[in-house]
Amino acid sequence: MDKKKVTLKLENVSKSFAKIETDEVTHALTSVTTSMESGEFISMVGPSGCGKSTMLRLVAGLIKPTTGQLTVNGKEIGDPGPERGMMFQKATLFPWLTVYDNIAFSLKMQGKLKGNEDKVEKMIEIIGLQNFRTDYPGQLSGGMAQRVALVRSLINEPEILLLDEPLGALDAFTRMNMQDEILKIWQEKQQLALMVTHDVDEAIYMGTRVLVMDAHPGRVIADIKIELPFPRDRSSREFVEYRNDILNKLHFAGKKGE
Amino acid sequence: MASNTVDPNQLQNLTRQQLKELEQKKLTPVQRFFELIIMILPLVCGIIAILEYTLIPDKGRNANPGVYLTCLIIAVLAYNVYGWYAAFKRMKGDKTPYEKLRYKAPLFAALYLLLAVYDYLTLKTGILTQPFVPCLNFVLNAAIKDYKMIAECTVHTLYLLFLGYFSGVSLGLVTGILCGYSKKCRYWVDPIIKFLGPIPTSTWIPIMMVVARTLFGGAVFVIALGSWFAVTVASMNGIANVDKDFFEAARTLGATNRQLVFNVAIPHAMPSILSGMTQAMSSSCVAIMIAEMLGVKSGLGWYMNWSKSWASYDKMFAALFVICIIFTVVTKSLDAVKRYVLRWQIGAEK
Repeated sequence: MDKKKVTLKLENVSKSFAKIETDEVTHALTSVTTSMESGEFISMVGPSGCGKSTMLRLVAGLIKPTTGQLTVNGKEIGDPGPERGMMFQKATLFPWLTVYDNIAFSLKMQGKLKGNEDKVEKMIEIIGLQNFRTDYPGQLSGGMAQRVALVRSLINEPEILLLDEPLGALDAFTRMNMQDEILKIWQEKQQLALMVTHDVDEAIYMGTRVLVMDAHPGRVIADIKIELPFPRDRSSREFVEYRNDILNKLHFAGKKGE
Repeated sequence: MASNTVDPNQLQNLTRQQLKELEQKKLTPVQRFFELIIMILPLVCGIIAILEYTLIPDKGRNANPGVYLTCLIIAVLAYNVYGWYAAFKRMKGDKTPYEKLRYKAPLFAALYLLLAVYDYLTLKTGILTQPFVPCLNFVLNAAIKDYKMIAECTVHTLYLLFLGYFSGVSLGLVTGILCGYSKKCRYWVDPIIKFLGPIPTSTWIPIMMVVARTLFGGAVFVIALGSWFAVTVASMNGIANVDKDFFEAARTLGATNRQLVFNVAIPHAMPSILSGMTQAMSSSCVAIMIAEMLGVKSGLGWYMNWSKSWASYDKMFAALFVICIIFTVVTKSLDAVKRYVLRWQIGAEK
């Protein structure tokens, strides 16, 4: 794959939602300005209502900003597309399609499946589900389903990978395994990855940068570069320092040292 | 027979059947004996039915007594043959035919016994008055004697049923899918459904008999209307209830709006659509019978009414059995289609 460098720019991006019952308006995200590029892994962490998912959905093109501009390489983001692959908290695999057909879905929609069957096979191999090729999603465990969802969004080799709490619903061990799996894929392809998470440890473990966000109104309160080499040691002094720093910014004082 | 001791190292290659056997409790000799009795019970009951028919003297005249007897013997033999087949398969290690038969055996026994009791109440004693509740031998003879007409009527009924059903279902799919997906469309169709919905389909039949140019056309319309209604509502709801997440996921995977309809909305609504189709079939079956009894001059419903007016109750019952058979076959085939299309649902609920 040729390495296409992309730069994602957010300029003064705000998004507000009208509440359904009342006349009030929720300010999910207020004037965010930042820029990111290929090879970065951006973790967004913060309490619920801080607009982290909103930001991801804006980048995906699922919703339009109220004000401001989102651009990729200078071009404004339009409708969702396979060049910005997204993975959701729920696997959202299509239950009526087999594992194979789920992974092939995107290629099929673009009429590119013919001649690219080996791509699908390769994706199945990456997640080691060769024996589940013809199974339906209802028969998979949560971790397997999430793996399928991951490669389903990766098959187009997206320039930007959007991860919306992808591991939130998994048990602790599956979660740690998948953190490493996602990191491996990202390191190989060097896309721009944006991940939303509730888990400060996960944000530090995986991110090259952590955007710390706060709610009411949703905004970015800190942009921290994590300068630790991969793979990271969750118990190292630096790691713990980063964690305390972030927790302090979110007003959850961490214990010093530990 | 597979032994119950499996080498723990070979658990890797265990088949589903072996696992089932391994986890099953061993039957005690008493239980084994009961199993055998249950398997033989239908045979015993079948023989009772045969003996009852041949040994007890008839109360009235009984023409062509061999027809019912032949059917009885064939039924008992069929059980016997399948029983041997199942036993043979079981020796070879395939237990499924045996288990199927074991499950059905008490029902078969009850059926044969019921036949004997019915025959005793009608032909042998006349407790159920004869020409009105004819014994099965009369019914079978009537069916054989009048088979040409019954066959003709069956074809007519099926033709009317399928014509009405399929035109209603296909139209219903179109409107249902359109309305499920487009709010504008729903705006116009919803009032129609709200207004027409509460009216049972058969209510239209007398109106159709007055308005329609041909009764056949009217009947098709009534059946189609009922099916259209059921399928429209079901597919509309099915599509309107598609999880938003699926659309979002599909959009980020590059699906166009048209693809969202055909590759996400419709497959997702398929369970709902199919249950609408099943419902449409049962309402069609009701409507067709009423239509044929009230106005249409052909078909099994008409035949039943017609034989009643000639006091040929045996023919009436024969037609009833044919109706029972074709509706069963139609429903079963619809079920088979459903199971195939929705095979992804099997094992989906853990």
